[in-house]
Amino acid sequence: MTALSRPSHLPASPAATGQRSATADLPAADHSWTKTPERGTDGALRLMLWILRRLGWRAGHLLLYPIAGYFLASSPRQRGHARAYLRRALGRAPGALDLFRLWFAFSSTILDRVFLTSGRTEKYRIEVEGLDALKATLAEGRGCLLLGAHFGSFEALRAVADAGSPVELAVLMHEANARRVQALVTAFGGPRHAEAVIPLGTADAMLRVHEVLARGGMVGLLADRRPHGERVARIPFLAEPAPLPLGPHLLAGMLGAPVMLAFGIWQGPRRYLVRFEPFADPGSPGRGNRDATARERAARYAARLEENCRAHPYNWFNFHDFWEEAR
Amino acid sequence: MSTDIETPTALLPGEMEVASLIVSALSLETRPEDIPPDEPLFGAGLGLDSIDALELALAISKAYGVQLRSDDERNHRIFSSLRTLTAHIEKHRAR
Repeated sequence: MTALSRPSHLPASPAATGQRSATADLPAADHSWTKTPERGTDGALRLMLWILRRLGWRAGHLLLYPIAGYFLASSPRQRGHARAYLRRALGRAPGALDLFRLWFAFSSTILDRVFLTSGRTEKYRIEVEGLDALKATLAEGRGCLLLGAHFGSFEALRAVADAGSPVELAVLMHEANARRVQALVTAFGGPRHAEAVIPLGTADAMLRVHEVLARGGMVGLLADRRPHGERVARIPFLAEPAPLPLGPHLLAGMLGAPVMLAFGIWQGPRRYLVRFEPFADPGSPGRGNRDATARERAARYAARLEENCRAHPYNWFNFHDFWEEAR
Repeated sequence: MSTDIETPTALLPGEMEVASLIVSALSLETRPEDIPPDEPLFGAGLGLDSIDALELALAISKAYGVQLRSDDERNHRIFSSLRTLTAHIEKHRAR
């Protein structure tokens, strides 16, 4: 069976194929990534907030060394998954320093998140590529889907996309994550983005995406992880097939929206490279071609993500069994 | 996990029409008359996801002129089963 065939819907057979199990309103239950990496994130974030309020960015930055070391030392499972990723991205066996650099970059983006979400970007050097292409796309009035990944900092990207933009930017994300961002904004930065989150997993999430695009706005989503039970295809990524979601590409096709890739790459302390790349022109593939088009786009997305992973290997923030090797 | 469809509840004509629309819009392998009118369409029941919801909303707007809006607080109920969806369409249809 291919990933794209539609399994019979009656009788309902959850997880029958692994591609489409029952989905829409399920609580995030047992997918390793929905719980493991975020627990660490939560603790780190709380600590970071405390430090930043009292001591400022520089102290926070210095403390990242012990903090990153602590989280690296205390998460053996994530370490194993990170090693599997680094081996592929670096093309060699990763050492302790490689692991530390990954954890350090991750911790840095969390520290920066606090500043970037609250719009305090003045001390940051953010290099931007492709902004003109994004503006040209938006000028056509059909909105734009921005596909990112758990790679680098989405907040850096948002800081750029949002600055002086005449259109709204909404982000599609898991409800638990949405709540976390909301709490962060409330705790530190005021209600700047509080309304601009569309929680995944509700029946009308995609309707809301549709409406934002119809108003000419941007919708950002991370297209490298699958929400519970979403349609996926196994697509070669860093030389081995990984389950990648087709949902974002099906959505883009259905709405006929233009699509750009968006990466906020961490390059060092308070240094980011934000890049927007044209990915797909507006227009709907015919009904019959929709699945094939989604698959083709997922493969192109994987290829671009792979290139970024090789060029900026320590920006990869998926600390779960990405290739599902343990299954 | 359910196995056989035993005696399915007979659908009302309006429900049958909406069920046919669901099946054709989403290319389901289910027959319209086999959709249980009172069971959830999304999640556990028919197993539709939020992308299906969008596709269905677009099809409903085309066929009946009924716009499903995301800010409608009743969405959860409207989408909860074939019966509630049909009732909503019949109340608001423009054609």
